[in-house]
Amino acid sequence: MGETDVLGSHTVTEPEIVAFATTYDPQPFHTDPEAARGTIFGGLIASGWHTCAIMMRLSVESARRKQAVLTGSPGVDSCRWLKPVRPGDTLTVRAEVLETWASRSKPIGFVRSRVEAFNQRGEIVLSLVGLSMYRRRQEGSA
Amino acid sequence: MSGRVYFEDVQVGQTQRFGGYEVTREEIIEFARQFDPQPFHVDEEAAGRSMFGGLIASGWHTCAMLSRMICDHAIPGTATTGALGFDDLKWLKPVRPGDVLSVETRVLEKIESPRRHGVGTVKIESRVLNQRDEAVMTLSSLVLYQSRATA
Repeated sequence: MGETDVLGSHTVTEPEIVAFATTYDPQPFHTDPEAARGTIFGGLIASGWHTCAIMMRLSVESARRKQAVLTGSPGVDSCRWLKPVRPGDTLTVRAEVLETWASRSKPIGFVRSRVEAFNQRGEIVLSLVGLSMYRRRQEGSA
Repeated sequence: MSGRVYFEDVQVGQTQRFGGYEVTREEIIEFARQFDPQPFHVDEEAAGRSMFGGLIASGWHTCAMLSRMICDHAIPGTATTGALGFDDLKWLKPVRPGDVLSVETRVLEKIESPRRHGVGTVKIESRVLNQRDEAVMTLSSLVLYQSRATA
């Protein structure tokens, strides 16, 4: 409990921002660098859903390195996109365990974590509190 | 009155229904390979052996598909400038290849925030439904609307 863990880092590129947003969030400030300049954001920014997806990628890779077996998630209590994510930003994701409990009926456990992504200036761009389910180690297994 | 929907025009309790997003196996795997490479999202055989009994979409993919439906159907004609985030996201049921998703939105609350120059926040619940009208995901977004006064 209270354990904070750095899950990994990812540098976000302009083609990546445009590709994600063209498919899933086609608004000018996510897809068109020229048009984005004239918006309140003053330039191209990543879709908040894209930032969430990057966070997920880093979480999955981190779990794999630790040989933890994720089995899905019931949901996210809250998520805030606190600052724009721009091309060239390097995002680092860290997670803090808030609470854990075991399922009474299934061989799984629940973990509630606060997950934050911050940029190369140390500014938090994404903050969420969410649940993950993990497979539990069986009695007698290593 | 111009045709655009500003903060002042939004009414608590308003509902909308739109969508018709066809979920394909290829898209599930492509999204998950990039962002959520867990066996039940990327590998049909492994997914068959998992507790889900077959390939299911990443929950973040469902969020992304919701975002696309909102961009196509709900945002045109409105003076929205993005969102602050969301609360109470629940992944209620698996989304599988062949599912057709639609969205039901309801305005829950108008939150004025005078410190954000001419922009107000509106809390909008989205329920993502499949072709059997089962809710597969729900969440409440904090959407930014421009004020008519500053438009």
